Amino acid sequence: MAANMPKRVKYRKSQKGRIRGNAGRGNTVAFGDFGLQSLEPGRVNARHIEAGRVAATHYMQREGRIYVRIFPHKPISSKPLETRMGKGKGETDHWTALVKPGTMLYEIGGVEENVAKTALLRVAHKMPVKTRFVVRRHSV
Amino acid sequence: MEIATIKGETRKTGGKHTNKRLRHRGQVPAVIYGHGQEPELVSLSLHDTVLAIEHTAHVISLKIESQERQYLIKDVQFDHLQKDPIHVDLMRVDPNERVQVKVPIELRGTPIGQAHGGNLVHVITELDVECLLLQIPDDIRIRIDHLGLNDALHVKEIELPSNVNILHEPDDIVAVIHPPRGATAAEIEAIHEAAEAAAEPEVIGKGPKEDAEGEGGE
Repeated sequence: MAANMPKRVKYRKSQKGRIRGNAGRGNTVAFGDFGLQSLEPGRVNARHIEAGRVAATHYMQREGRIYVRIFPHKPISSKPLETRMGKGKGETDHWTALVKPGTMLYEIGGVEENVAKTALLRVAHKMPVKTRFVVRRHSV
Repeated sequence: MEIATIKGETRKTGGKHTNKRLRHRGQVPAVIYGHGQEPELVSLSLHDTVLAIEHTAHVISLKIESQERQYLIKDVQFDHLQKDPIHVDLMRVDPNERVQVKVPIELRGTPIGQAHGGNLVHVITELDVECLLLQIPDDIRIRIDHLGLNDALHVKEIELPSNVNILHEPDDIVAVIHPPRGATAAEIEAIHEAAEAAAEPEVIGKGPKEDAEGEGGE
């Protein structure tokens, strides 16, 4: 699996934080014709994102185009097993994307709706958050 | 062009609490402005509004009590899930006025390039056009059967009625057929291995020596 994480960071570790509110941006189908939208807040880590991308690519057999709209910017640290508490914060274990309700996770373009729907359903099974399938809406 | 009729009511007060109550009652708050007159606050039927938006209506006929007038839908705000409209901007217009609107582009047919493994990328999905209010096209249908691999459809190739002006650059690309991505399994494996080798990102403002020192300790 490809290591999906930032190339450069300002700080190696970050505080836990909370995911509050709804997505005010990145919540529309912007690049493709169909999308997978998150319905609840959560953390989607680099392995989830890659698993979803592989599932969709595999189903679509290199047809159409997949757009991954999220990126794991946040480092999550953990302490090694059988270690006493203290002695500072643990090392980075994995990287994760923070997702709010409404965030568009993936988009698909260049295929029929039934193909996109099945591909995104397979992706949805890999996701740690509830999702829904959406179709691009034309603006006025 | 079909003009949808929406039932509405006038409202005297605005504000988030009043608007929230309106939305609970199946109404959508809206504002009417334009032509140098004072803005009017109105509320529209949610059901009628959703239907009009789904049918990509640009002009609506708003019926308040016994009066019925036509307005241009200037903007629609949606909730965070982009599901329900939460506010609509309506603009006063004359039937003989020229307006700028976005019209969806519908690509028809299967391009030749797609049969050869190419991927169709729809770059411009909505065209900015200027035309008379009552002559706004519902959609622009373009046949793309002739597009081969690496072929692109440009804005200048789109044929529209003479009274409809396109506001894009003529050389803008509407759709393109990209050749199939030719990465072999070995190449993909090499990319993955290189990515795994870089297990930690570079920290901005820290040299490699300082970074190594920072990692010391239990």
